[in-house]
Amino acid sequence: MLDPKEIETWIAQGLACEHIAIEGDGQHFAALIVSREFAGMNRVKRQQRVYQTVRGKLDSGELHALSMQTLTPEEWQEKPRDG
Amino acid sequence: MEAKEQIRQTITNHPVVLFMKGNPQAPQCGFSATAVQILKACGVNTFASVDVLADPDIRQGIKDFSNWPTVPQLYVKGEFVGGCDIMKEMYQAGELQKQLEDLASA
Repeated sequence: MLDPKEIETWIAQGLACEHIAIEGDGQHFAALIVSREFAGMNRVKRQQRVYQTVRGKLDSGELHALSMQTLTPEEWQEKPRDG
Repeated sequence: MEAKEQIRQTITNHPVVLFMKGNPQAPQCGFSATAVQILKACGVNTFASVDVLADPDIRQGIKDFSNWPTVPQLYVKGEFVGGCDIMKEMYQAGELQKQLEDLASA
């Protein structure tokens, strides 16, 4: 079983994140990733940027699926929070 | 034919192409199933689909072609739109419906 913390580490090593949070059941994972680098990028480019950091893990099958929300710090500020 | 050329022809010849696991009647992965549902919710009931599980060359080929390591992948009018997350976000924002407007069946 893959620990979400491990995925956080992989991503954070390859991309400067203001905030990163990953939830998952060991098979499927959902990530919230906040990075300044996303500014000026469309959705596809942002996810391609994140995929770069975990490409090897996806190719090897270690990581099967990662759904993600990719936000700039400004977008994250504006986003309504739960709770 | 080379996988890349085959992919290029498919996305050129069909206005909406979903690269997925399984087929629209029997998706083999939850994300592919969601992608099919979103297309239908946008009124697109007929679209071309490619089952990547049926051909390892296409399965690898589409990842390289789009620089996108996961499936499903949606192409509209020859352009890569995104995977399941992006389809969902665009649908929730009403953007995908707009993009598919003229392709939806009455």
